Amino acid sequence: MAALPLREDDVGWYLYGVVANGADAPSAAPVDPRSEVVLLVEGPVGGIASRVSLEEFDEAVLPERLADAEWLEQKIRAHEQVLEEALARGAVVPCRFCTVYRDEEELRRFLAGRADALAAALARVEGRVELGVKAFAARAGRGGEAAQAQSGRAYLEARRREQQEREELARSRADVAARLHERLLAEAHDGVLLDLQSRDVSGRDAEMVFNGAYLVADRGRFDEALTAAERDVDGVELELTGPWPPYNFVPEELGRT
Amino acid sequence: MSSRDLDPYRPQHPAQLADVLERVLDKGIVIAGDIKIDLLDIELLTVRIRLLIASADKAKEMGIDWWQGDPFLRAGQNGDSQLEERLRKLEEKAGLPTEER
Repeated sequence: MAALPLREDDVGWYLYGVVANGADAPSAAPVDPRSEVVLLVEGPVGGIASRVSLEEFDEAVLPERLADAEWLEQKIRAHEQVLEEALARGAVVPCRFCTVYRDEEELRRFLAGRADALAAALARVEGRVELGVKAFAARAGRGGEAAQAQSGRAYLEARRREQQEREELARSRADVAARLHERLLAEAHDGVLLDLQSRDVSGRDAEMVFNGAYLVADRGRFDEALTAAERDVDGVELELTGPWPPYNFVPEELGRT
Repeated sequence: MSSRDLDPYRPQHPAQLADVLERVLDKGIVIAGDIKIDLLDIELLTVRIRLLIASADKAKEMGIDWWQGDPFLRAGQNGDSQLEERLRKLEEKAGLPTEER
């Protein structure tokens, strides 16, 4: 598959995101390595795009492809790399994974038709980056007490105690999350709370108690707020990710008509 | 967690797959392009990708060693997992013969 060139009758356009007219096309490798990343300019905006084989990206075959974990990770990493490259050069409005057009005309029609909304979305993220902040707390109460109980009554009492401890823990963690969010939001242009990742997903032994994303202009001040928050909020370890293309701070519905 | 004095527009490490998935699959502008797909539940996808892609060694290298931290899968000091220990306790309590290993 990899060796054959793209067939002209089998080509779609993959759109990574949108930048301002005048920006350079990112140099990162595209989702289809036989292609190259280009900028399709329409008025004030340019679409970061590359050609893809519809054998891989057509609706009919995509579900199967998505079930192929290795394929999926490769393509998702490529999508992200192209956007990170764009972000390093200036403002970018990222598209969701697998935004594909059947031909260039359709893609250009979208860019031209929504140029104003896209330019506004770009202006909003200009000079800002998305930063991810996660907080982890050591897992408390392994719940071994009930399992070791010697009698039925002791077992039930231990179970009740464990239940109460769990509820208390959940309350205190919700409180921690609210405090963190408030403090970080104060040094950011905007912020959202994301779903907590389970331990399977986070890849950590500690429990994730907070997962936020922030649109940040002043990186120094945000870092200071982060350091202060880690110092003041007991028992949590913070993890910073990014800078990300501002996935969480673009109008999701912009493309829908 | 120090990130000062670095290019604020460049990530310092390759991102964790879960964090990339969380954004790329679920966020960003959604365009009514010609080709529409249903993306599966991210959590499921993430776990599946990890299991399929990461052989244990590669996973460790990438910092994905969650199963080693799982008390139910990890062997304890005496070589037994917590699950096995609990099973033995239950068997003893119930007066059932406990399997010797």
